[in-house]
Amino acid sequence: MRSRQGVLGALMVVAAVLWLLPAVWVLVTSLKPTANIIRVPPEWIPWPATLAHYVEVLFSSSRTARIGRAFLNSTVVSVGAVILVVFTSALAAYPLARMRFPGRDLIFVILVGSLMIPNAVVLVPQYILTQQLGWLSTYQGLIVPEAAMTFAFGVFLLRQFFLTLPTELEDAARIDGASPWHIFTRIVLPLSQPVLGALSIFAFRSAWNDFLWPLIAVNKPEMFPLPVALALLRSAYSSESYGPIMAGATLSAIPLLVVFLLANRRIIEGVRVGGLKS
Amino acid sequence: MLPGLVLFAAFRLYPLLDGLRLSFTNARLGRAQYAFVGFANYEKLLEDTRFHVSLVNTAFYAAASTLPILAIPLALAIGLNRGIALRTFLRGAFFFPFTLSVVTVGLTWLWLLDPVVGPFNYYLRALGIPARSWLADPATAMWAIIMTSVWWVTGYYLVIYLAGLQDIPRELYEAAALDGASGWRSFWSVTVPLLRPVFLFVFVTHVIGSFQIFGQVFILTQGGPGDATRTVVQHLYETAFQNFFQFGSASAMAWVLFAVILIFSLFQFRLLRGHTQY
Repeated sequence: MRSRQGVLGALMVVAAVLWLLPAVWVLVTSLKPTANIIRVPPEWIPWPATLAHYVEVLFSSSRTARIGRAFLNSTVVSVGAVILVVFTSALAAYPLARMRFPGRDLIFVILVGSLMIPNAVVLVPQYILTQQLGWLSTYQGLIVPEAAMTFAFGVFLLRQFFLTLPTELEDAARIDGASPWHIFTRIVLPLSQPVLGALSIFAFRSAWNDFLWPLIAVNKPEMFPLPVALALLRSAYSSESYGPIMAGATLSAIPLLVVFLLANRRIIEGVRVGGLKS
Repeated sequence: MLPGLVLFAAFRLYPLLDGLRLSFTNARLGRAQYAFVGFANYEKLLEDTRFHVSLVNTAFYAAASTLPILAIPLALAIGLNRGIALRTFLRGAFFFPFTLSVVTVGLTWLWLLDPVVGPFNYYLRALGIPARSWLADPATAMWAIIMTSVWWVTGYYLVIYLAGLQDIPRELYEAAALDGASGWRSFWSVTVPLLRPVFLFVFVTHVIGSFQIFGQVFILTQGGPGDATRTVVQHLYETAFQNFFQFGSASAMAWVLFAVILIFSLFQFRLLRGHTQY
């Protein structure tokens, strides 16, 4: 029995290593001098190693250098979207979980139903709206629609969590004369830190990685977020440009890798609880 | 709750309905005046052979990727569920690609599958399989895209399956073992029936996602060779934002896509409800 367990374990380790190889290959490529990148047979140890491609995409003035600026754009947009989503969906989820008012259930049904709306379906009208607001190629033109995409999911996730909180604490505070706002900010939100964290990670991931919306909503190169900037590097693609492209790809993976290493458990929990949406 | 609902109404509900309205007009990018044209856009779609091709390709992608998406994450989840060492690390390894953007994933596989210097062909040749241009050959291009997608999302479904497996009571396996059932037998008569809701969830999520596939195609093949990998969202994107700027016609496509997805999810939700009692 033990040896079968060992064989299975070894098989799983081999599978996991194979699964990671494509990502390792990207990292290895990004560290090689251009001349070594296209050598056959493939060399898995980037020696001599160089950071030249990273310097190029981050600091040089050539066309590949939009990556540094794109990294900044993606950061602004993703952080902005996280703040907006967490703020708006917490404010909406609490009354839906705790208060009685006409139309409450209808609002919730519409929100949950809207999870079925594919982003591609609202693409054209959302573009027209953003254009009318004068928001094309601006941060708000990315932040607000990204937040709107995640809002309904956020309300769903937070409402489910608020419903599991015992009401005694809130009742006690109310008897002591605390206002609903005070109860919400001083009691409910601090108790909700884990789920707010899970929602933040979810919202960050979806804003950081979104491609289709920024592809059409931004047409100034200095406003491109990372996925768009990288995708457009691909059109200039030749074996010459694999180095910078792979350096950009590695850079784009780092923030979520860090988040993932720090909050592995929470992300898995988030996927499980919110399995509703990918 | 007001700010969230305003955000939601303006950037989700309004665009959805505005898209329906636009689909009955001859709106174009930059055309201020446009007229209602009844069902003309939908009638045009009946004759648009490229739209038909993209529908067929998208359906093929969804169907052909279903089996790997149901089976591979399940096999890995069962392997991980046996309480082997390094479980958290292994789960993280499979989950990692899911934290990447579709652009990063696409660029990774573009490089791996490079017909001349890519490692994929090199190792296949070492195994005696002739090298080919996987992405430039109409017979293999869609399969290469499917492989890319499987690599990307397997970790997500793996986590969902792991949660499902952990909900199956241990006693059932013990009872099956007492009755003399082999591992294979108890897989088919305990695991599979009890995972039915999870299978349905994975299946629905995957199909709904598949109908919206865009990024992989945009990076890897841009719909080619010929129209062999052209998908609905890509056709919509090009109709609205690249070649013709026909917003009316693109909106009609969006609503056809929405209808397909909606029928699918409603149908599957009924199935799901009918089958979860046991």
